[in-house]
Amino acid sequence: MQGFVAHLRLRYRYPMIILRAMVINDFKLRYQASVLGYLWTLLKPLAMFSVLYVVFIQLLKFGAAVPYNAIYLLFGIVIWAFFADASTQGLESLVQRADLLRKISFPRYVVVISVAMSALITFGLSMIVIVLFMALARVPLTLNILWLAPLFVELVVLSVSLGFILGALYVRYRDLSYIWEVVLQAGFYASPIIYPLSMVPEQWARFLLLNPMAQIIQDARYALITDQTVTITQAFGDPWVRMIPVGITLALGVASVVFFRRRSPYFAEEA
Amino acid sequence: MADAVIQVRSVSKDFLLPHLRHSTLKSRFIHLFRKRRVMEVQHTLRDVDFDIARGEFFGVIGRNGSGKSTLLKILAGIYPPTAGHVSVDGRLVPFIELGVGFNPELTGRENVYLNGALLGFSQREVDEMYEDIVSFAELDGFMDQKLKNYSSGMQVRIAFSVATRAKAEILLIDEVLAVGDTAFQRKCFDHFRTLKKAGVTIIFVTHDMDLVRKFCDRVILLEQTRLVAEGDADAVAHEYDMLFAAHS
Repeated sequence: MQGFVAHLRLRYRYPMIILRAMVINDFKLRYQASVLGYLWTLLKPLAMFSVLYVVFIQLLKFGAAVPYNAIYLLFGIVIWAFFADASTQGLESLVQRADLLRKISFPRYVVVISVAMSALITFGLSMIVIVLFMALARVPLTLNILWLAPLFVELVVLSVSLGFILGALYVRYRDLSYIWEVVLQAGFYASPIIYPLSMVPEQWARFLLLNPMAQIIQDARYALITDQTVTITQAFGDPWVRMIPVGITLALGVASVVFFRRRSPYFAEEA
Repeated sequence: MADAVIQVRSVSKDFLLPHLRHSTLKSRFIHLFRKRRVMEVQHTLRDVDFDIARGEFFGVIGRNGSGKSTLLKILAGIYPPTAGHVSVDGRLVPFIELGVGFNPELTGRENVYLNGALLGFSQREVDEMYEDIVSFAELDGFMDQKLKNYSSGMQVRIAFSVATRAKAEILLIDEVLAVGDTAFQRKCFDHFRTLKKAGVTIIFVTHDMDLVRKFCDRVILLEQTRLVAEGDADAVAHEYDMLFAAHS
């Protein structure tokens, strides 16, 4: 066992060193010329939340029946923001680092992982804001919170897989960034983020929940905020239906690794 | 060859280049909807064979576009060869360009750590060698300025200083010494001599025949994607000079 750990250490030493350097420098560079600097990582989701809060909760009275509907809304937005951030950055990552790819030989997956790590840091900071709000609103915690761990793993696998596939494709097909922008926009409205699922006809709600992002968001809200929400279990009356979106995620994960490994020798000359 | 650290066997490299030249707006518009982009095959290397022995100072020369840089990138594992096979025995560090990954918005210090990471050094390892790197570059007092405020000579010096730290058994150098003043260039070559004495194999791409004659043990000449001469430095450098004589 010790030999195995030492072997892994040696094998992933170089990738880990590069990964660390990339994530740290990305973070340093991101808010360089801005006055508020790192605070923007927190201010951005808060600002977006305020807009949606005023429009959907104050004016349109969406989700009035949902307990803690403001935090419920914010949590959904934060999860989606991570997904959008990681997948979009993943798409652009290889092309942005083309200069590096042409000059040194290192495992190409590091580039995609590094932007996912940056998105994960932002996600972590946003979660701090959510925890603060939850404490202020005295949201009771239950053991359901344990579900968050596997759900976040699913979220990361889904986002990073898409990052790998999109990133590898974008090297060749530069139209993809425009397409992905539209797909994300559609996905945002196809997921029950700003509207409660109860507004949607039942058969449509079921269909929507087969989308991994909808399943993750609803399950995560159920686990952290309130059990007064429609998850895939309630919609179908069977917890095993969850295996469909989870299966989609895992299949994407495997496909992304296979595809990325096959394409990666050619990134240097195509990017 | 008895003790070859690098073996190159019938290596060829083709690039597929999309044809994007459209003379008129109309043809551009028509081609927008054409399904297949016209691809042009560009042969960059054809059937190249050679060996490099351990501890050799090995020169690669040829005119612009002869395939030198492509060859170097194949040796470095950056491009896969289209055909043929390359085997490398030992830790190879490429300097296709000095200061890879340098970011103008970061300080000199931060860039040293970044560049060090790309060479495989952990933060702690760079901590240990940091003072030496700065004094070798003769840049004490500048390290907390942003790199964009450095002159290009200063950038090369700091980059080369980091590069000298690389633990390489085989070093690939692609004309990285084009910048930097005479004194610093001398310093670089002194460093290469030290490395050579320590048994490091050095592969050196250049246009400067004086450097070739002075340093290289053996040289290959590439001309229009093929290897056309291989041998000791004087003979091959002469062939290179003859290429230009024939055209003038």
